[in-house]
Amino acid sequence: MNDPIKIKIEHLFFRYGDRFVLRDVNLRIAENTITAIIGPSGIGKSTFLMTLNRLWETIPGAKLQGRVEIKFQGQFQEIHDRDYPPTTLRRSVGMVFQTPNPLPMSISRNVSFPLKLAGLRQKSAMADRVEQALKRAYLWDEVKDRLNEDALLLSGGQQQRLCIARALILEPEILLLDEPTSSLDSKSGAVIEELLVNLKGSCTLLIVSHYQDQVQRIADTVFELAEGKFIPMPVRK
Amino acid sequence: MAKWLEKLAERILTVSALISAFITVLIFAFLLIFGLPLLQGGQWFGLLADPWSPREGLYGIRPMLMGTVYISLLGMAFALPLSFGCSALISVFAPRRFGGFLRKVVQLMTGIPTVVYGFVGIFLLVPMVREIFQGGSGMCVLTASLMLAVLISPTLILFFVDGFDRVPRSYLDAVAALGGNEAQQFIFVILPNAWRSVLSGIVLAFGRALGDTLIALMIAGNAVQTPSSILESARTLTAHIALVIASDYDSPEFKSIFACGLTLYLFSAAVVVLIRSIGAIFGRKER
Repeated sequence: MNDPIKIKIEHLFFRYGDRFVLRDVNLRIAENTITAIIGPSGIGKSTFLMTLNRLWETIPGAKLQGRVEIKFQGQFQEIHDRDYPPTTLRRSVGMVFQTPNPLPMSISRNVSFPLKLAGLRQKSAMADRVEQALKRAYLWDEVKDRLNEDALLLSGGQQQRLCIARALILEPEILLLDEPTSSLDSKSGAVIEELLVNLKGSCTLLIVSHYQDQVQRIADTVFELAEGKFIPMPVRK
Repeated sequence: MAKWLEKLAERILTVSALISAFITVLIFAFLLIFGLPLLQGGQWFGLLADPWSPREGLYGIRPMLMGTVYISLLGMAFALPLSFGCSALISVFAPRRFGGFLRKVVQLMTGIPTVVYGFVGIFLLVPMVREIFQGGSGMCVLTASLMLAVLISPTLILFFVDGFDRVPRSYLDAVAALGGNEAQQFIFVILPNAWRSVLSGIVLAFGRALGDTLIALMIAGNAVQTPSSILESARTLTAHIALVIASDYDSPEFKSIFACGLTLYLFSAAVVVLIRSIGAIFGRKER
C-alpha cells in the first residue's frame, strides 16, 4: 500500500542540557497507520512524542534543532514556526499520557473540556460531541447513565479511555500515546488496543510501548530508539 | 522505624497540639477574668458604644474598634488584588527565572521588621498622601491601610503561590496537551484546585492585619475619633492598647484595655469562623 506521508522529520536533534536524547533523526510516518516506538525506559521515547506537539517547550533546559513537518489539510506545516501557535498544533495533535490524567471534574465536563478551551459555548452541540467521542473511545455504554459523576471515581482503564475520548473530541489528525496501557491490567489494555486499531481510519497514531507482543499485535511500523537514532524493526504481520 | 518510636512521635505531636490550643484558650480566659469587672457591671456594651473621653469619665472604645475595622478591611482590599496578581505571575505567567527571583524577593519581604515599614510609611507615604490629597497631616486611614497592605502582601503571596504550585503537574500537562494556554490553565485548573490555600492565606493575613500595632501607631495619626473618611486620622484597638498601657495600673483607662483585648480576640475569631464557613460551603458544593 502506498500511504501518503503525514509526518516528515528531518535532522532532528534534541537535548536536555548536554545530554542528547535524539541525534539526527530522519523519519517519515505514513497517514492512517500505527507506528510503535520501543526501547528501554529513560531513552527518550516520551520526549520524542513531545517534540510532535511541542509539549517539550515546558521542560526547563530542553533544546531542539531540526525540522518537524506535519501535513494538515494537504499542506505541510513546520510545527516549530514562530508564528504557528502551539495551542493550534495541540488541537490537531492529541496526546494520551502513561498515567491516566482526568481532571477533577465530572465525566462529561472532562470530555467537553477541550471544546471549552477552544472557545465553544453551545451546550447542545457539546453534548452530542461528548457522546460521539465517548462512543469512539468505547466508554459510552459504561458511563452514559452517570455523566455527571466525578471522573476520578472511574477505574484506571475507564479513566484512560476517558482521556482518549477527551483527546478525540477535537477530532485530531494525529494521536500520540505514551505507554497508554502500562498502568492497566491486561483486560483493560486489550480493550484499548482494539480501539486504537479502530481509530486508524481517522487518525495517524504513534504509540510508545514496552510490550513486544502488544506492538506486534497492533503496529504497522515499529522503530527501536537507541542512542538517539530510530532503527526500523521487523513487523510480523 | 521502630513502632514505639512512631507512637512516641505521635504522642509528642498530640501534646504539642493540645498545648498550643490550650494556650489560646488560656489567653481568652485571662482576658475574660481581667475584664470581668467591666462585664459584670454591663459596662462592656457601653464601652463598645461610648466615645473615649476620660475627662468626662467615658472610656468607650468604639472609635478604636471602627479604626481597626476600617484600616484592616481597607488594607485587605488593597493587598488582595495585588497579591493575587503577583502570585499568578510568580507561579504561572512569568518566565521561570524571573518568577524564581520574584519569589525570593517576596520571601525576603516577610523577614523585614514591621518598624521598617512604619519608617518608610512616615518618610515616603505620609508626605505623598498629604501632597496628593492636599489636606491634613497625611497620617490617616488611607496611609495606614496602604502600608498595611504592603506588610501583609508577602504572607498572602507566599500562601497563594504555594497553593498554585501544589496543583498536580499532570493536570497542567492535560490542559496544555489539549491546546489550552497558560491563562486557561490558571482559570480552569489552578484556581479551582488551589482555593483552600488561598483561603488559608486570607485568614492568616487578615489576622496579621487586625493584630498589627506598629503601622497604625506610627502612621494612622492615633486620633481618638471614629473616622468619617479615609483621609481622617484614626486609632486602632492595638495602637490604643500600646498607648494606654503606659498609664497607671488602677486607672479606668487601664481597665478599658482588657475590653479592647477581648473585643479584638472575639472579632478576629468571628472573622476566621466566617471565612472558614464560606470555605466549608464551597467545599460541599464541590462534591
